[in-house]
Amino acid sequence: MGDLVIETAGLRKEFRGVRGGRRVAVHGLDLAVPAGGVHGFLGPNGSGKTTTIRMLLGLARPSSGTMRLFGEPVPKRLPQVIGRVGAVVESPKFSPNFSGRRNLRLLAGAIGVPAERVESAIETVRLDGREKDRYKSYSLGMKQRLAIAATLLKEPDLLILDEPTNGLDPAGIREIRETIRDLGESGVTVLLSSHILAEVQQVCTSATIIGNGRLLASGTVDELLGGGRSYRVAVPDPAAAVPLLGRAGVTATVIDDRLHVETDAPADVTRILGEAGIWLTELAPLRADLESYFLELTEADQLGHAGDDEEAVA
Amino acid sequence: MNRLLRVELIRFLSRRAVLVILALAVAIPVVIGVARILETRPPAPDELASAQAQADAEAKQPYIQRNLRQCIAHPESNLGRPVPDDVEAACEEMILPQPEWFAYWERLDLASEREEGSGVAVVIVLAILMMLAGTTFAGHDWASGSVSNQLLFEPRRPRVWGAKAGVVTVLAAAFSALVITAYWGVLALAAHSRDISLGHGLLLDCLQSGWRGAGVAGAAALAGYALTMLFRSTVGALGVLLAASVAGGVVLAVIGIDSVWNPGLNVYAIILDGASYYVDAPCPGGGIQDGSCQVEKILPIGRALWFLGVGLVLFAGASLASFQRRDVP
Repeated sequence: MGDLVIETAGLRKEFRGVRGGRRVAVHGLDLAVPAGGVHGFLGPNGSGKTTTIRMLLGLARPSSGTMRLFGEPVPKRLPQVIGRVGAVVESPKFSPNFSGRRNLRLLAGAIGVPAERVESAIETVRLDGREKDRYKSYSLGMKQRLAIAATLLKEPDLLILDEPTNGLDPAGIREIRETIRDLGESGVTVLLSSHILAEVQQVCTSATIIGNGRLLASGTVDELLGGGRSYRVAVPDPAAAVPLLGRAGVTATVIDDRLHVETDAPADVTRILGEAGIWLTELAPLRADLESYFLELTEADQLGHAGDDEEAVA
Repeated sequence: MNRLLRVELIRFLSRRAVLVILALAVAIPVVIGVARILETRPPAPDELASAQAQADAEAKQPYIQRNLRQCIAHPESNLGRPVPDDVEAACEEMILPQPEWFAYWERLDLASEREEGSGVAVVIVLAILMMLAGTTFAGHDWASGSVSNQLLFEPRRPRVWGAKAGVVTVLAAAFSALVITAYWGVLALAAHSRDISLGHGLLLDCLQSGWRGAGVAGAAALAGYALTMLFRSTVGALGVLLAASVAGGVVLAVIGIDSVWNPGLNVYAIILDGASYYVDAPCPGGGIQDGSCQVEKILPIGRALWFLGVGLVLFAGASLASFQRRDVP
């Protein structure tokens, strides 16, 4: 793994309730996001994704643990790295009575970004033509696009997007997805927080899955889906093929008249069966979809940690 | 920091509610000034002629004539001793109705306007309006959620807090100073046009009092802003201010705290360069008789500045510390 853009170790966040109880939103999270590409940050609602992002951006204070952005400890060195980070946290938040352009100009003015970059950002997110309208008159999709435009003002190396397609129609979702993919391909590291798994699977190169504020899995999308080690094999007599493969050290099981084979070398399967006179009619990689994997992980986590969230104060 | 200040200045002056408040801060002193100028205008010649006619008619009333005759016949019991040489003129002056009785007007007096008249009222109005401006400015940022957006661009929270506070305070004080200067300027012009002497340095006294009042208005704006940053809501901040203004005086009176701790009196002391207040004290004859003996004391401006200044610094410090430490939604 190359340089890490985001790194957390033992990150924990507790919220204290008015009645003395406390809720642990993030529970010792270790997160590592490598430079480049689009990294999915997955978890069910309430799993601690937004809280983690808010802590990384200095909007919330961690209860314990360490965080680094571009190798710099945050929040201590956040002012030094915030210029390289663009972020949209939850819903876009702008002054409702100002136009989209004015909102962007005010933010740009705060960090000394030239006005031309405002126009360029408006153009990039395709808001031109509506930039003079008041923010409160924008549709949800336009608000999201304005929020992304605001992140582009800094020409960031890291873009953190928290549920950017929430509430968008299919066309809006596709537009945002294309923008994210383009940004990822242009060299910007994108951390895409979402609970929409199809979105992550289509856009992301790597992903981290959390549940109840804990890390459940992390890696490239291929690795998470089984790393391409499972294959479906069709042969005339699957039952006869199983011991042949077993003797060669390849695990195989029969499911629905097909062999499910675990191997790093699928060519060996064709060779072993071919030498035994068993000719394959199909050999296809078995790809679990991310949704199944995600549900499997988070459901297991829910069962394993039921009741952990609320801890009484001693 | 300059960039932040510029941005906050634009944001402050772009808020519609703030602009309405600033418009009121001009309109209300204009109304007060116009009212004072009209109330103190000298009567017109036809009003004077009418008053003279009324006085003449009244002088012919039998009871007036009877009183006049009695005065002339017994001057010592009506005019006292020593009896003047021209008894008839003295009795006429005392008994006969005068034209100004029927055309009374209050003269425009800048000294009394400054001490107990409209000058103090204008300052109080400006201070309240500037406090509202500071409150609504900060409250809008919290209501729209744009504080978090701002922090994504400038995460140094003390800077963000300070830039907003600086803009609110300086703008409120400068705007108030401008309005107050114009107010006293217009009143001075009106007095000058009526040949009323302003006296030595009176206008400067009025202006200095007004400028101290502008400082109070700036401090009020900062207090409103700081309170809203603490409670993160315009409604919450205004509720606390309302409760404090309604209950504060009652609580001070009930627990019997000396007036010197009354914030209102301290504000007066700053505006007027010292303010008088009364405390219970033994009567000159010895002992408190019926609890009615009171002694006048002066609250000096220095003490008032110290009291309110320390309060404001503590208040602003609590607001800044809260903003620095608490999570931002």
